[in-house]
Amino acid sequence: MASSLVLLLGSIAVLASAATVTYDFNIEWVTANPDGMADRPVIGINGQWPLPIIEANVGDQIIVNAHNSLGDQQTSLHFHGLYMNGSTHMDGPTQVTQCPILPGSSFKYNFTVKQPGTYWYHSHTKGQYPDGLRAPLIIHDPESPFRDMYDEERILTVSDWYHDQMPGLIDFFISKANPTGAEPVPKSALFNETQNLTIPVEPGKTYLFRMVNIGAFAGQYIWFEGHNMTILEVDGVYTHPAEASMIYLSAAQRCSFLVTTRNETNENFAFMASMDTTLFDQLPEDLNYNVTGWLVYDAEKPMPEPAVLYEDFEPFDDMALVPWDNLTLLSEPDQVVQLDVIMDNLGDGANYAFFNNITYVSPKVPTLYTVLSSGDLASNPAIYGEYTHPFVLEKDQIVEIVVNNLDSGRHPFHLHGRAFQAVWRSEEEAGTFADSNVTSASFPEIPMRRDTLVLYPEGNIVLRFKADNPGVWLFHCHLEWHMQSGLAATFVEAPMEIQKTLTIPEDHYAACAAGQVPTVGNAAANLVDWLDLSAQNAPPDPLPKGFTTRGIVALVFSCLSGMLGVATIAWYGFAEAVSGGTPTPGTVAGVAAAAAAGTDGRDDASPAEVASAGKANDVVTSSGTRGGGGGDLR
Amino acid sequence: MAVDVFSVPVFLVVFREALETVIIVSVLLAFLKQTLDGPNRDPVVYKKLVRQVWLGTALGFLLCLIIGGALIGVFYTLGANRWEASELDYEGAFCLIASVIITIVGFTLLRIGKMQEKWRVKLAASMEAPVRTDHPGAGKAVKRFFEKYAMFVLPFITVLREGIEAIVFVAGVTFSAPATAVPLPVVVGLLVGAIVGYILYKSGSSTRLQIFLVISTCLLYLVAAGLFSRAVWSFEQQKWSKLLGGDVTETGSGAGSYDVDNTVWHVDCCSPYVNGGNGWGFFNAILGWTNSATYGSVISYNLYWLFVISALFVMRFREVKGRWPLMKAKPAEIDVEEEVQSGGSSVKLGAESKAVDVEKTVPI
Repeated sequence: MASSLVLLLGSIAVLASAATVTYDFNIEWVTANPDGMADRPVIGINGQWPLPIIEANVGDQIIVNAHNSLGDQQTSLHFHGLYMNGSTHMDGPTQVTQCPILPGSSFKYNFTVKQPGTYWYHSHTKGQYPDGLRAPLIIHDPESPFRDMYDEERILTVSDWYHDQMPGLIDFFISKANPTGAEPVPKSALFNETQNLTIPVEPGKTYLFRMVNIGAFAGQYIWFEGHNMTILEVDGVYTHPAEASMIYLSAAQRCSFLVTTRNETNENFAFMASMDTTLFDQLPEDLNYNVTGWLVYDAEKPMPEPAVLYEDFEPFDDMALVPWDNLTLLSEPDQVVQLDVIMDNLGDGANYAFFNNITYVSPKVPTLYTVLSSGDLASNPAIYGEYTHPFVLEKDQIVEIVVNNLDSGRHPFHLHGRAFQAVWRSEEEAGTFADSNVTSASFPEIPMRRDTLVLYPEGNIVLRFKADNPGVWLFHCHLEWHMQSGLAATFVEAPMEIQKTLTIPEDHYAACAAGQVPTVGNAAANLVDWLDLSAQNAPPDPLPKGFTTRGIVALVFSCLSGMLGVATIAWYGFAEAVSGGTPTPGTVAGVAAAAAAGTDGRDDASPAEVASAGKANDVVTSSGTRGGGGGDLR
Repeated sequence: MAVDVFSVPVFLVVFREALETVIIVSVLLAFLKQTLDGPNRDPVVYKKLVRQVWLGTALGFLLCLIIGGALIGVFYTLGANRWEASELDYEGAFCLIASVIITIVGFTLLRIGKMQEKWRVKLAASMEAPVRTDHPGAGKAVKRFFEKYAMFVLPFITVLREGIEAIVFVAGVTFSAPATAVPLPVVVGLLVGAIVGYILYKSGSSTRLQIFLVISTCLLYLVAAGLFSRAVWSFEQQKWSKLLGGDVTETGSGAGSYDVDNTVWHVDCCSPYVNGGNGWGFFNAILGWTNSATYGSVISYNLYWLFVISALFVMRFREVKGRWPLMKAKPAEIDVEEEVQSGGSSVKLGAESKAVDVEKTVPI
């Protein structure tokens, strides 16, 4: 339960001294029906859903005691956007920085937050969070440069919603029955995990909206009718204020903005979120991809129907934002990591997502524990296994990630452990970065920073950061479907530094022991020969590109039987023709008779005469047939 | 694609029926020539009877075209929309029907060389028939008519019979091909049938004809084997399509166009169905080629040949030994013989129904 002290602090925001904020989370199934269409089991906390919001102040220590009461599913918690400096083991993704929390087990997350802003926490286990385990995490900043610009704060989530549970949806999504990798389309959109949300406002005031897209898949266009937005923060990074009439938030992105209310209270105003339907493989006719809420000036007044937009969405371009701290472009990179996004099918017929032909598969040993148990070998990427797609970064290196989208969909890429400089983003269909002849000279002087950036279809993005945060950090697409189909890579940042500074708490190892997950060894849990990864977890084999042995055998066999058949037909056909004298049908005899009749009857023209010849002939035929017995006149 | 305008099975069926008709007409003409155009010739009667033959042929042919056109037209207008939902199921069913028809027709094609003799016999028998009906009472006018116009009635009935048979077969076979693939093979089949018949009439050599017939029969059975395999493939592909919840064509010939767990081979090219087949459609029509073979399609292809080979051996056995294998020679051959006397067509029907029975026992 959230400490009431913190909630108080959050709203008043006065004290700057560090405190410890403790939450005891009992993670369990509850039933909910947020869109009024279907009751379904959702993952609640302490019997509640929507989930409690984690709130703290900059400098506070947050402790989350998570207990898994789900009974049938593992879990873990990721605190999205928190840098986890010095506490990479509290980051949350299973098999990366921890073992899964088994049903009945507990796990203590304990970390100190040094960054203000709007974040969220969610499960980072097996695509679980869209089943409900997702909520905002707000770090208040008593020293905020904008603290005098607004009167009150409102936290607003937007999300997509499914009526089926993720395990079944994922089983379908990654199956041969879905060879195109069509992502399940949500059933509805939600504001604050509900619909027709009303937010009472007072006239002539300024509100800070902290908005989070906690959805699984759909990006959302968001706008307020009759009001403008002033953007102040994206993904925890303060920006110079920027006016916007509409914003776009991909899954996992956040944005804080000011909304100043009108001075009159004679009408209420709708605000809308509209799911980005370009992501959807198909658009079901009964899908309402919009969700509406209202700024309520006067509850007695009607809630106006919003104008629905169908196309020509013109959201604010987040690349145009300038961070408040004016941090300039990082110098030329020491290491460039290029990742090409591809979707393809593997030997099981299912569709997978690839970075450079590698689809992510979890290692047997959580990558962080491989770092800690491998000694000097920790800087050798090979030990982390081919399918975790590891990149080892040296401390304080400047790293550049170039992502080329060879796929036709939008992908919001998220890097754990930091906000990166988004130094370049191409338009759609611009091709690869290398082909576009863009140099650092075109990069902005003060690049926008955030932790989740949308990559456009068949375009490219370039990100830069300084490797000053030792830890094991995932870089992945935050569309939960693609996370499951393997669109992820692992950055092992300053592994020697991790070994020197990090101690894993006993309860973390206990979680591994409970699930019999090895905690030492390389990705294949081999601690004898660290470079032997033959036992590593691997994706299905690629689809055979041509004839396999099986195919060749079948083809040869079929050709053989075809030839044999043809030979038999020929044998039968010619045997008949040749064997005129053998005891075969009477036709032969009959023909002789008929021919005889034909020549004999030449002196008479009447048909009757011919017929009598035929009669004699008929007798011959009969006897002939009796001899042959085949009756085969044909 | 190649098969879009030329359905090989349609061609073969039309060709066979045309050939049969031409043989009958040629036998009739040869008969007339021999009897009336000899030394004691009667040019007036001869010309008259020849004209009757041609008239009967032409009228019968015309009637067939009308009936056939109407029938197939109705089939297609009724069917076109109704079959789309589970198109592959229908395609499979029609391939199966076409395969069965060809299998049955094919056996008889090997015997077409004997048609000439058969028809001489038949002709003689039918000439005799009116004389036999001595005092039918009311049938005197009819009898007169048949006597007078036998040379008209015989080809007319024959052409009509062969023609309608062809129509039924073509109708059965065409459903495995689009409507556009029907007209050309019909025309070509008629032409080739006529030409071959003419050669046969002129040369009188049955050996060369036999080679030709054996080759065309082999071709026909290759087609039938392919159709049989394609029928099974279509059923399986329909199931796969259903599993995907819709359009398999979206995936072209690449991943997702086939069920990986049921695939014996798959190559991402050379599909007979994608982009008009690019000539692979021709291989599909003649040899049953598919770029994506399933267990069902491969096994059914081989089983089909196994069936054809055994059937031919059994038939040969019966021809030589006069009984079915594994059966004792029965004295009851007279029954069969009577059937023979009562008319060739009933024998044929009997043979067909037997073949169908055997066909049914093939595990699909």
